[in-house]
Amino acid sequence: MKPLRMRVFHRSVVFLLGLALVAGTALAQPNKGKTPAPAPAPAGGEPEIEIEGEGSAGGEIDMGTDPGPGDLNADLNAAEQNNAAVKAGPLKRTPLSWKDILVVVRKPFLKSRRTELLPMVGTTMNDNMVRHYTVGGQLSYYLTDVLAIGVEGQYYVHSFREPFDLVARQARRLPTVNQYNWSAALNFHYVPVYGKFAIFDKKLITWEAFFTAGIGAGQSEVVPRDTKFPGFTNLLIIPNVGVSMRFFLAKWLTVSVGIRDYVFYDKFEPTDRSPTMNATADQAKDNSTGSLINNVMFQVGVSFWLPTSFEYTTFR
Amino acid sequence: MKKNILLAAVGLLAIAGAEQQAEAERRQNSLSGDVAVRHRRLLVKNRFELAPLFESTINADFRHIVGGGAKLEYHLGDMLSIGVIGVGSTAIDTGLVKKILPTLERDTNNATREPSVAEFNAHLNSMPFHGAAYVSLTPWYGKLAAFSQAYVAFDFYFQAGVSYAILTSDCPTTICSDPAPGMSSGPGGMNPPDNNPNNDAPLNDGSRLGLYLGGGIHVFLSDFIALDLTVRDYAFSDNPSGADFNANLAVTSDDSRFLHHIFFGVGISIMFPTTVKRTN
Repeated sequence: MKPLRMRVFHRSVVFLLGLALVAGTALAQPNKGKTPAPAPAPAGGEPEIEIEGEGSAGGEIDMGTDPGPGDLNADLNAAEQNNAAVKAGPLKRTPLSWKDILVVVRKPFLKSRRTELLPMVGTTMNDNMVRHYTVGGQLSYYLTDVLAIGVEGQYYVHSFREPFDLVARQARRLPTVNQYNWSAALNFHYVPVYGKFAIFDKKLITWEAFFTAGIGAGQSEVVPRDTKFPGFTNLLIIPNVGVSMRFFLAKWLTVSVGIRDYVFYDKFEPTDRSPTMNATADQAKDNSTGSLINNVMFQVGVSFWLPTSFEYTTFR
Repeated sequence: MKKNILLAAVGLLAIAGAEQQAEAERRQNSLSGDVAVRHRRLLVKNRFELAPLFESTINADFRHIVGGGAKLEYHLGDMLSIGVIGVGSTAIDTGLVKKILPTLERDTNNATREPSVAEFNAHLNSMPFHGAAYVSLTPWYGKLAAFSQAYVAFDFYFQAGVSYAILTSDCPTTICSDPAPGMSSGPGGMNPPDNNPNNDAPLNDGSRLGLYLGGGIHVFLSDFIALDLTVRDYAFSDNPSGADFNANLAVTSDDSRFLHHIFFGVGISIMFPTTVKRTN
């Protein structure tokens, strides 16, 4: 009899466990028949959820659930879940002080002590004779969340625009142009602006704007008006300034678009070249004419961040 | 037999429970289908927008078009609006023209195919007025913090519509003296074409209709005042140099082509009514 009772006991335990499992999971189902409990109204007005600063709903006190690495949306959703959980519960009247009021929620993306690898492409914005396209990259290290130091390098290819041909045919003048071959720079980045925006009132995207200033070097090359004569190259000292926007897609992935002004003093082919004058590259370079150039580039790139995740060091 | 049935039932219940558990894990909170932002200030919905503005071409080939005007827009909803824009402008020679002009011959010499300074200048056109009627979509809105001090609302918008421009060029008959560019003239066509486009009329004035595209940002300085930054493309048929484009040694209507005229605009938008409503 004892063994039989034991078997009956085991079956009962299994059955009860099964029921408990079903019951437990059923309790976790969303209540489809009911609408969510309304959020408790703040003392002074209507319920309000704002994405930033003013009127930000509080309740972000649960540090326990940490979304998986790389999932920026999970972070945002977790914050919303915390809000909902707090609001759905019984209203607990607790005395508040100004210290308890959360004014600014923490940033969903931290950059401090992280490295950004940014492959990018770019194109000229302000030259109506020759358009340059660039392929390059930036490597930046963020010393703080708003300040970074980095290096960049770019390789240039070019194509001539419509006026290059028109001036030759209509005004009977051969334009003097230089092509750019490569450039590199040491840059500093400063991030003074950050924000969020909603797309079609559904999806929240975090972004920031940053300024860049740096100095570097590059090479330009004369495109000879007459191919009988050789061109020559110039080594350029190139300061640059710019402003960019960065959009955060994941904890390790961002997209950047920006405008950069590369300023340099370039030397151009002399207008008087003939077999007896400025025929060689050295002669032409010695008699070249110079001009201050602003090469304004539009740049876009996708950034990869290392380490691929981060941890908050302070409470919300 | 009863034992097997009981075990099978428990197994099915466990599987169902696991499925429900997985479903519960997949579930989202009740806010998942909600709007991104509640209790939001409706900064544009059902409001008129009047924006005095300044506009300038970007990277024009021969003449910068610089001017001022206004746009009037009515926001039908939070994302959709209709509007018109009009800008009166003046023309300024670009650096390219300033480089070319000193190198051209001072006096007209028909023996060369080179234009004189007067011929080159007289063929360039300007755009004293341009504008557009458009539909605008504002899919993005948000807030930004500058230097952790200033918190302002902004939105991005995109526009499409019809553009309109008035082009002028002034080539006196002393310069544009060819009565029949590219064709024989005289009694019985006894005079062959002169093959000199420099004395042909530029044919680059008059009214133009075309396409309009734009994109910009409102940065709200208050509930009813916003900084308005826009890049606009007025695309229509044009021949800015007024010279022979297709190399047939005559200036004809065939030398005009569909060109993009890219402008950057800065304006101050004033919203009416000046008070805003909020979403639920």
